[in-house]
Amino acid sequence: MGFCVFCSKAGEGPAEWLLVELQGEVVSRQNTGLAGNLMGDLHYTKEGVPVLIVGHHILYGKQVKLEKPFAVLMKHSGLPRDEEETMETNQENPTSYTVSALIKKKLIFKTRPKPIITNVPKKV
Amino acid sequence: SAKYCPILTNHKSMESLFIHLIIRGDKDEHAVLCNEDETYDLKIADTSNLLLFVPGCKTPDQLPDISASPQLVHAQIWGFSNCYWELRRQRPRLKKLKKLLMENPYDGPAVGMQEEAPGPKYTMDDLLERIQASREEIEAHLQNVHACEIDGFWRILDFDYEMKLLGHVTQLVDSESWSFSKVPLSVCLEELGSLEPKSMIEHCLNCYGRRYSNEDGQVIYALDEDKVCRATAQLLLQNAVKFNLSEFQEVWQQSVPEGMSARLDQLRGLALLDRSSKPETISLLRIEDLPEDTLERFNSLFSLREKWTQDDIEPYIQDLCGEKQTTGALLTKHARSSVQNGVKVYNSRRPIAT
Repeated sequence: MGFCVFCSKAGEGPAEWLLVELQGEVVSRQNTGLAGNLMGDLHYTKEGVPVLIVGHHILYGKQVKLEKPFAVLMKHSGLPRDEEETMETNQENPTSYTVSALIKKKLIFKTRPKPIITNVPKKV
Repeated sequence: SAKYCPILTNHKSMESLFIHLIIRGDKDEHAVLCNEDETYDLKIADTSNLLLFVPGCKTPDQLPDISASPQLVHAQIWGFSNCYWELRRQRPRLKKLKKLLMENPYDGPAVGMQEEAPGPKYTMDDLLERIQASREEIEAHLQNVHACEIDGFWRILDFDYEMKLLGHVTQLVDSESWSFSKVPLSVCLEELGSLEPKSMIEHCLNCYGRRYSNEDGQVIYALDEDKVCRATAQLLLQNAVKFNLSEFQEVWQQSVPEGMSARLDQLRGLALLDRSSKPETISLLRIEDLPEDTLERFNSLFSLREKWTQDDIEPYIQDLCGEKQTTGALLTKHARSSVQNGVKVYNSRRPIAT
């Protein structure tokens, strides 16, 4: 019988976020986890082509308008943290969701990352 | 604590989708998402790609056109995910609505000093909580099943009581020699108010007629011949398993108000004709008595009858069609066709235990 309510923030519409889609996995160099680290640099060429530099790789992508936009929801559980394991909701503490953001476009990087080689040994 | 879970939507106007949404479902049901007038299935989908969410990150069209010094903007990746929820528009699950209301049908006001017998009763808020559909879809279905609000509770009428009310109205129309399309509300309430509550008389007229105002501003009803005849047929058919078709047609025509025509096409989705038996027969088969799930519906229909023509099966599968789906497409998906005596018929794709 649980019900959850979404509502957008009164007045303003939700913020707009960007989605960046990559093929494969992103790992941190020393396997220290991703949080708090610099992932890479995003550039745009004069023609508007997005270019992503991650570590020593360079990826070329494109901007795509999402046919089916995403909405990002934030869950607000009425229950104290340690009780969240159960999926039950009750009348006094209904779970609710708010729409934090909408995503209408994405940058998708589908090409194979190319390594950037800065030191090419000269042929002897 | 906050957890983000991305949802993909395919609604035509996304901003309006987020004014007011509700996720509904009992513990044993799949969750659905509803806005004011639509219902969506929630399904988790995953991708092998990595999805990164970057709040406020700008795209080239949003950046000023500068040929001067390059700019560095810090943007934070909020999070990442491999999966998301997908919304798919679906027909609302409304069978439960009638089931709940049928727990305690209304069969008239309590007699004398007695209180009405106790039984479960549901307000609109109760229904909104229990039924996996949007408010508008629920309101439309309440109208379809001829439910009415009594003392704040939504009640479905006991069918015999509903027919009793209709009988009062049609008998009055007959005795006053009114045209079926000019039934004045005020006279009905005056003449029949002593027999039944006025609110019930008016409810009956709302169910079986179209309400309008005449030039003098009086409220008038135009009785719906199809609805009246159909209800009369149900009253007759529910008393036996099968009827001889021609006998039934005779009795049915005699039972409807004089001046109305009883026609078999009025019974689509209510009764099933068997033209292959000798004599031809007719029996009650109401779509609302059949399973709601598509596969279960087809299984049920094919266990009742092995082979169906499209014309016969159509009224019983019409409501299963998704957006932009035809009954033909449904049949192609769930049935196998063959030709019998020059006519195309459909049977089950899988063996049915009868």
